[in-house]
Amino acid sequence: MQGYVLAGLVLGSIYAISALGLVLTYSSSRVINFAHGATAYTVAVFFHWLNQVQGWSIPASAAISLLVFSPLLGLALWGILFRHLTHSPPDVRFLATVGLWVALPAGVQLAFPFSQGQILQPQGFATVPVAIYHLSALGVSVNANQVAVLIGGAVVVVGLSALLRATPVGLATRATVDSPRTAAISGINTTMVTAGSWMVGTALAGLAGILLAPILGLSNGEFTLLLVASFAAAVVGRLTSLPLTFLGAMAIGLIQGIAVDFLPSHGVLSTGFRPSVPFIVMLGCLLLYPGLRRERFEVDRRAGARAREVAPPPPLRGWRAAIGPLAVAVALFSVPLWLSTFWVGVVSQGAALAILFLTFTIVTGEGGMLSLCQATLAGIGALTTASLATHSPLFGWLVPNPFSSATGWPIGLAVLAGALVAVPIGLLVASLSLRLGDVYLALATLAFALLIEQLVFARPEFDNFGAGISLGRPIFLGINFNDTSTFFLLLAAIFCVLAVLTVNLRRATTGLVLASMRSSEQAAATIGVRIVRSKLLTFGVSSFIAGLGGALFAITIGRASPDSFEVLIGIVWLAIVASFGTRSVLAALIAGLLFAVVPQLFSEHLPTSWAMVPTLLFGLGAIRLAVNPRGSLFDIQHSVRVLRLRRARRSPTFEGQAPA
Amino acid sequence: MSDPLLHAHEIAVSFGGVGALAGVDLTVPARSIVGLVGPNGAGKTTLFGVLSGLLSPRSGRVELAGADVTRASPQRRARLGLARTFQRLELFDELTVRDHLVVARRIRERRDRSLLRDLVGLGRRPSPGEDEAVDALLDLLDLGKFANQPVPLVPLGTGRIVELARALATEPRVVLLDEPTSGLDVHETERVATALRAARADRGVAFVLVEHDVELVLQLCDDITVLDFGRVIAHGPPDEIRASADVQAAYLGTAPAQKTPR
Repeated sequence: MQGYVLAGLVLGSIYAISALGLVLTYSSSRVINFAHGATAYTVAVFFHWLNQVQGWSIPASAAISLLVFSPLLGLALWGILFRHLTHSPPDVRFLATVGLWVALPAGVQLAFPFSQGQILQPQGFATVPVAIYHLSALGVSVNANQVAVLIGGAVVVVGLSALLRATPVGLATRATVDSPRTAAISGINTTMVTAGSWMVGTALAGLAGILLAPILGLSNGEFTLLLVASFAAAVVGRLTSLPLTFLGAMAIGLIQGIAVDFLPSHGVLSTGFRPSVPFIVMLGCLLLYPGLRRERFEVDRRAGARAREVAPPPPLRGWRAAIGPLAVAVALFSVPLWLSTFWVGVVSQGAALAILFLTFTIVTGEGGMLSLCQATLAGIGALTTASLATHSPLFGWLVPNPFSSATGWPIGLAVLAGALVAVPIGLLVASLSLRLGDVYLALATLAFALLIEQLVFARPEFDNFGAGISLGRPIFLGINFNDTSTFFLLLAAIFCVLAVLTVNLRRATTGLVLASMRSSEQAAATIGVRIVRSKLLTFGVSSFIAGLGGALFAITIGRASPDSFEVLIGIVWLAIVASFGTRSVLAALIAGLLFAVVPQLFSEHLPTSWAMVPTLLFGLGAIRLAVNPRGSLFDIQHSVRVLRLRRARRSPTFEGQAPA
Repeated sequence: MSDPLLHAHEIAVSFGGVGALAGVDLTVPARSIVGLVGPNGAGKTTLFGVLSGLLSPRSGRVELAGADVTRASPQRRARLGLARTFQRLELFDELTVRDHLVVARRIRERRDRSLLRDLVGLGRRPSPGEDEAVDALLDLLDLGKFANQPVPLVPLGTGRIVELARALATEPRVVLLDEPTSGLDVHETERVATALRAARADRGVAFVLVEHDVELVLQLCDDITVLDFGRVIAHGPPDEIRASADVQAAYLGTAPAQKTPR
């Protein structure tokens, strides 16, 4: 028992260090840093590199990593990105940090190639072999890395409290946190304070990362779990209170540590319990904290920065408007004519992903909601479809097969069922957190996605030793879709239908209602928009499309595997869609095709060490949203329209239309 | 006199133990313009929040056309005929001026429920009479030349009139106006006043007006309520209010309440 408490205290201390950094940066700049785990990862890799590859001593490596590298990294990220985000609309703030979360680990793995593979013995503060101390009085053994964590946690808490409570710098920081504007007019250099808080926050992330690495491993996946636990702790502290955040972090760590004592030592529950604690804690806070409700209005009021965006130029009307979409459709359907079968197969994956990516177009582009669980919903759709189609058990329960076919459900029906199953699950997550506003929806969906990944996707019947469930292709209406080109045409047709439906929705009353909600929920409510109902409807539709796209993607690659729908893949998807624009169906298509084609091109023509370059580029694309909030596709269209307007103005028939 | 259209009875609100409103009454008869004035912090915007459903009162009752709506959501009140404008513009930045009216009107017609119709592409067509009604409202408020402009491009004064137009497009019985002329120059203020009179004459809408421009309130309103520190300190027709000593004290201060030197 004492051993488990100790393990819990250790985990809790790491979460606390990381979460304090998160709260510090959030409260000084109002940006939730989804890349917090990624910065921790970056610093931990850098430390490992200094010590193991460069051969520096542990104290020297630690000093350089935490006192030089981390603050500089924090300062650089703040100067390049976060500084610009404080006044951005909430969706841009969210998507740009997601972009960083994608780009940073990719960049690290390019810069430090050793981190591409598995790092067997990540270096911590303790020398190897790690010393173990037996404390007979308490009946526990503690190793030197754990001691380092406990000391680190105590130093951070004491140091941070002393800094904030007893120094002029702390006073300035607290003033800035309370009200940046008031602080600024009373002569506090709020820019310095914010920059400083990002430097300290990054250093705390780095410290947590170095402490975590030897205990849980140095991988991007483990650091995502760290991120979510820190988020949950920060939610306990309402994203602003440092003491409550600390308590929350310790509670999460202790629950995780002690629970190991009571759980079976094998199976999904033993591995799945740890990630479910942050989700449960977060959910409990979201449901029980009365204070969180009021903060929603705070967030909404700051969204006024949207007004500074450039208004879109008038769209084309009449037959001209049809030229672009028709050209795209013709190009898409003619792909089998000018590409080899192999590449048609690659592009098919892209087309299936394009269908899946429409889920982002709807939930984020139209609904203005920030969801990180769309990949998980796609995975649920894919695995349900595969289980039904192959007649394999779901959670040990064999779904009845009322159909005459010997193998399982007809695949068309299985796909539909998979898409439908995703809907209530999506609605459940959304309904729990929607009323609280955007940021909390993003946090809750992230926690939910990790929970499903660890608790459901890891089950042997789905994972099947990493192979997933094999899936055949459909034969219906007398057409055999086993032929690559035929199947591609089917996917292209489905995409076109869904794209048309999406555009219809956008241009109809529903689109107007959603646009009004995105700009001002308060005003929308006062003209009679039922906010929660509209959002749930949108989320439901997007869940359906996610499930459908997931199932189709699984059929395209021939197997439904949880690996294809990991949270970390989902954020890359979101980043690439966002970088082209969440408001455009064409952007979803381009994003899908690029996501399939670019890595293939890289692997054929470039050395394997370049494998992370596409991911890096996708992440950087999303980061660029900080400058170009509507995505690069909108930018191109905008420039074309402006050129057209200029040309028109020069011609004598132009009647002085107001340019944007 | 028949039942009032909107009636607030003994409204009390407090924020974290600090009383913002204490036992405030407000009555709005049909087709009237009721003024709500008072110094900053008197509780005017808070009362608006309670009336429109964005805030819930600690105690008291709000009645709209005879129905108790104290706990009803803003959406529900909107559908019962209560609209409002905001002190800080809350426009839909991605929509044109015309679309503001279209969306408000379609929600009134329950067209936001026709998802299937929208999906197959029929949702773009205007409802019967929609174009005419929207054009009429644009004309009434003199917004015709801005109709197809995105709202981030219209001047502030026009933005306030767009808010009013959007409120009127829901075909309300009563509209709450939160400082409709703040930040406007004399000409723009005159435009707003003209628009209000036109809307009342044309559609029989009642207004509740929160306003710092006391002259405008005295000019426009049939009835005025003065708030100070969360209480009603005067109530009556404009002439009475103009003469009231309490109101003058609240606005100009009395001798002992003068600022003390630091």
